[in-house]
Amino acid sequence: MIGTAAVPWARLLPEPRREAARIVDAACVRLWLGEVATRLEAERDFLTQLDAAIGDADHGVNMHRGFTAVMTMIAELEAATPGQLLKVAGRTFVSTVGGAAGPLYGTAFLQAGEVLEDHRTFGPRLLLDALRASLEGVQRIGAASVGDKTMVDALSPALGAYGLELRMGGSLETAASGAREAAAEGMRGTIPLQARKGRASYLGPRSVGHQDPGATSTALMFAALEQAVIADRSQRFAHGTRRPVSGS
Amino acid sequence: MIQSVGRAARILKALGSEAAHLGVTELAERLGLAKATVYGLLRTLEAHQLVEQDLESGKYRLGPALLQLGNAFLDNNELRARSLLWAETLAGRAREAVHVGVLYGPNVLLVHHVFRPDNSLQILQVGASIPWHACALGKATVAYLEPERQAELLAGALPRLTGRTLTSPELLEAALETVVDTGVALEDQEAIVGEAGIAAALFDNRGAVVGAIGLAGPVERLLPDGPATESVAAVKEAARGLSRELGAGRQAIRGAGA
Repeated sequence: MIGTAAVPWARLLPEPRREAARIVDAACVRLWLGEVATRLEAERDFLTQLDAAIGDADHGVNMHRGFTAVMTMIAELEAATPGQLLKVAGRTFVSTVGGAAGPLYGTAFLQAGEVLEDHRTFGPRLLLDALRASLEGVQRIGAASVGDKTMVDALSPALGAYGLELRMGGSLETAASGAREAAAEGMRGTIPLQARKGRASYLGPRSVGHQDPGATSTALMFAALEQAVIADRSQRFAHGTRRPVSGS
Repeated sequence: MIQSVGRAARILKALGSEAAHLGVTELAERLGLAKATVYGLLRTLEAHQLVEQDLESGKYRLGPALLQLGNAFLDNNELRARSLLWAETLAGRAREAVHVGVLYGPNVLLVHHVFRPDNSLQILQVGASIPWHACALGKATVAYLEPERQAELLAGALPRLTGRTLTSPELLEAALETVVDTGVALEDQEAIVGEAGIAAALFDNRGAVVGAIGLAGPVERLLPDGPATESVAAVKEAARGLSRELGAGRQAIRGAGA
């Protein structure tokens, strides 16, 4: 960017006191959705393999198809706000993805989109509210609690870790890292559990010893979120632009 | 109760609940028994091929004789044997997966499953156990049980499997009455989010309900703005034909609203 060299370096560095107020905008949400789509493409067969052990062997294919459709839809929405992007993603998911993943993830995105309203940018605290709304939506539809061997086993601890990190004064980036870690731990924690919800619950004790595919795709989304917020920050840093500061 | 038979059964169940194989020590800990006892039981079960030992790890897993027993169980189930042809025909006509189930306690045990005929990858669900109140097969069956048995099931545990599972005895009772009125039971994402079912009861030569046959598949295809008329007709026809084959008189079949 022109003139960057003339700016003192100190001005490019983040201001520590404003860490918690870093801002997410539509570009960052697009980065996240794109990262999820890329990872789902890479992990499609793995997810399907996990699902074949205790489900219907379609989770990888469904998630990949859904996110491919989401990417096509949002590519056409140039001026969309973050909330609009997530709502479009949710609606696209519900209409293109069969099985349980469509309604569950679709609702999660829709609920998050509702919370973000028409804000062009939002802070880490509103993201916490959005994640909370996603979890509530998923639980309303699926009636699952932690320990039932479902996506809730990754989503709920991720939400907890994200909120805790913010309360301890962490940044968007450290909160996203905490969420990714907790989601991955929750995902691995589904292995010894006996499924109490979903098709896997039909198997009774035979579902023990298998990692839940839904918790796995949720953990993947949090890994993508961490990568997106860090990449977004790096890009801004490289371009010498400062993020606007939000009040939320 | 014979204690050693009970212990042997617990060993088999423990091995059946784990993806990983279990060693003598692990099994002994899990069951709270002495290692020597577990070892003796395992050797006996192994002699009957009910368990087998992995030569490399020394751990035990379920044996091949169990597969034969499981198959024998299914073969002895007259309903399954007779339903093969009707289930296949129904799946072909409706282009959806077909389930045949019987009530065991408060659950429907799937004794037969025909894949949706579209070449997609599907997993065989024979042996799956679904709470009766959450599936079309269960509601179709329970609707025709004698009142005492029905009341018993309605008073039992009615776990919530999704946000749409009917868990109040009153609502379920009303749903069962609708089944009797219409001759079919519906399931709208009550067991699994996104999945639906349409099922009808099956009757034997005494007119007693013996199970149910039905379609299982994505809600948007099975229940687009209410149940698809052709699907309902196909399910009823399959149930009627199969019941007739099981010896049910016209009265029992007519009583099922067919």
